[in-house]
Amino acid sequence: MDSSPVMQYYDLVHDTIYRYTGPVLLSQQVAHLRPRERLRQRLLSHRLQIGPRPSLQRERTDFFGNPVSFFSIDRRHDSLAVQAVSRVGVLAPAWPDAAASLPWEAARDHLRDALSGHAPLQDEAREAGQYRFGSPFVAIGPQTLRYADYAMQCFLPGRPLLEAAAALSSRIHAEFHFDPAATSVATPVAQVFAERRGVCQDFSHLMIACLRALGLAARYVSGYLLTAPPPGQPRLVGADASHAWVAVWCPDAGWVEFDPTNDMQPADEHITLAWGRDYGDVCPLRGVILGGASHAAEVAVTVTPVAGRDAPV
Amino acid sequence: MSITTKPGSRPFDEMYDASGAIRPHYQPYAAWLEGTPRQLIDRKRSEADIAFHRVGITFNVYGAEGGKERLIPFDLLPRIIPGEEWRALERGLAQRVRALNAFLGDIYHGQEILRAGRIPADQILNNAQFRAEMKGVDVPGGLYSMIAGIDLVRAAGADGKGEFFVLEDNLRVPSGVSYMLENRKMMMRLFPDLFSRYEVQPVDHYPDLLLETLRAVAPTGVLDPTVVVLTPGAYNSAYFEHSFLAQQMGVELVEGQDLFVQDEMLYMRTTQGPRRVDVIYRRLDDDFLDPLAFRADSMLGVPGLMRAYRAGHVTLANAVGTGVADDKSIYPYVPEMVRFYLGEEPILNNVPTWMLREADDLAYVLEHLPELVVKEVHGAGGYGMLVGPASTKAEIEDFRLRILAAPEKYIAQPTLSLSTCPTFVEAGIAPRHIDLRPFVLSGGKEIRMVPGGLTRVALKEGSLVVNSSQGGGTKDTWVVD
Repeated sequence: MDSSPVMQYYDLVHDTIYRYTGPVLLSQQVAHLRPRERLRQRLLSHRLQIGPRPSLQRERTDFFGNPVSFFSIDRRHDSLAVQAVSRVGVLAPAWPDAAASLPWEAARDHLRDALSGHAPLQDEAREAGQYRFGSPFVAIGPQTLRYADYAMQCFLPGRPLLEAAAALSSRIHAEFHFDPAATSVATPVAQVFAERRGVCQDFSHLMIACLRALGLAARYVSGYLLTAPPPGQPRLVGADASHAWVAVWCPDAGWVEFDPTNDMQPADEHITLAWGRDYGDVCPLRGVILGGASHAAEVAVTVTPVAGRDAPV
Repeated sequence: MSITTKPGSRPFDEMYDASGAIRPHYQPYAAWLEGTPRQLIDRKRSEADIAFHRVGITFNVYGAEGGKERLIPFDLLPRIIPGEEWRALERGLAQRVRALNAFLGDIYHGQEILRAGRIPADQILNNAQFRAEMKGVDVPGGLYSMIAGIDLVRAAGADGKGEFFVLEDNLRVPSGVSYMLENRKMMMRLFPDLFSRYEVQPVDHYPDLLLETLRAVAPTGVLDPTVVVLTPGAYNSAYFEHSFLAQQMGVELVEGQDLFVQDEMLYMRTTQGPRRVDVIYRRLDDDFLDPLAFRADSMLGVPGLMRAYRAGHVTLANAVGTGVADDKSIYPYVPEMVRFYLGEEPILNNVPTWMLREADDLAYVLEHLPELVVKEVHGAGGYGMLVGPASTKAEIEDFRLRILAAPEKYIAQPTLSLSTCPTFVEAGIAPRHIDLRPFVLSGGKEIRMVPGGLTRVALKEGSLVVNSSQGGGTKDTWVVD
């Protein structure tokens, strides 16, 4: 492409409905449903509609810089409906030249030396260090050496980091089967790895585990994919639901994203909601309820491109 | 008696000097002991046992048969510290706790000490006790560990003089202060005549100091704060202490289910309706405080508590996230914190420590395992450690494999010859190893402590492990002038 990049605009509707088999007396929820702004993403409008109406609602920024909403409902209710409606503008990133990126070992050593006090610590590395070690969904330890082994086939000696990461993303895409029935939000990486199946969340956790096991910093990005593909292009997996992908930290290029579920690099059809160490940090909606017995959840996501001039609001 | 230390080294005894003479501050005690028949002391001892059972001052030992409750053995022979020695310790403790609180404030804000390269960043970032949730949260007075228990040991220097070292900082929920208080009460009841021979500095005002400390860190603008003690419940090993302190301070003892958050305010349920709570002395680990912020499966905490805390509407004592400063992997850097934040030289020394994450240290330690004490970085309570001189060859080899599998999980220290104090045993009186845990209170601008603290004693001959969970006992601790 030789034309300069154009911002793409989208309308997002993210619906979550919980139906409880018994009455809920008190509900406290934390939502990561407001798309975060970043250099190449603008948030034009956003509203969070909650029924029944919360008795308290607060917005803040979490420790990874994501907007987060908290609300509580202290009236008796049998169902909870949360709808996030947003309009965003997304710009495709300028691709760093993968072949020219640092050899992956150099990236690893840079991080190791800075974090262990053997080299000066720059703020970028200190920030990246948050995503270098184990986290609740992606434990790192002697038992995760097998992820390093798995990744080594892509991380050949001296290979540029971004090339190797792209190869790893492709390998996971090729060898793992997309199967929404195979896993739940709580499926451990080890099971995904053993059974070779899962969904975007699982593949992202696995790729993060591989990268961290090698000594690299990797974070989990939660967001959306364009629902209806442009004419003539295939519909991507993960649309109509929230999606997830991975970013790896490269000392010379910064954070670079990969989508192992679709074997691609996110451009202007991936809309970012939030990022963190793993799913647990950015889960779209989580809470504690009093009562409710059991519940069923329905989630629906629609992403619609906003055409031409109507775009900016 | 045999003591498991390097041959040639001989422990410092609190009562007898190297020539076997009684130290001046123990002379009135020795005179009293000489004039007191052994039968009387034995009788007093069973009296003490019965009284302790009646009070219910017990301790749960995890891993013992059936998680049995039992008494912590109480030794009737006091540990006596001369006043001037204590005052030096007091200055060192205040300095150390001031630096540790400054470190916590820095780590959860600007991280200057990491930027300056004085502590490696991975020690913090790869530490399960580091709570990212605390980043940017401002706590009253900048205080994180209002109640700190600093474990001290005394070891014989080359010149035979005893020197105190800090063995461990306890900045989360240090326990044991109830034993300190009960031990003193018991001693005064059993041996009132002894207290007429000494001017023993009192400790019984500790609950008052604690309450003043907690009130001093109340949220801004709260003039008459309501303080509560939060306990995980009656199954916790230190439940006795929780209820004891609440009762001594005259405040409510609550469990998570007694509290709730509404509009970012914390309330307790009372028979007269909800009542605002301003300060929680919590004896519950971070993980269990708020299922919305930490472990979602916790039934012990209060949903929404972290939000009320972050909004500055309630104070937690100690603050969330203090564990990152008392971890054994951070311990070696505490003297550096004193220099960095206070611009002073540390008054109290650390025990020299090898960090097995460093290749040179690892090589040295693997060569000298039989002489060293090796500890798990994240362990506590005397579990998961190797005391080289007291271990068999097989135990040492077994531990070597564990170290090799994950060297960064361990630190090592020389086997200190901990000081001994004469102690009543079956056969009479014999020296046993002891340590000291003073309780340091930080509230407002002042740092205060009651003189002394809790002396723990390793009752097994030659044992260096004083932890209550490992069969240690306690002694009354006297600071005398």
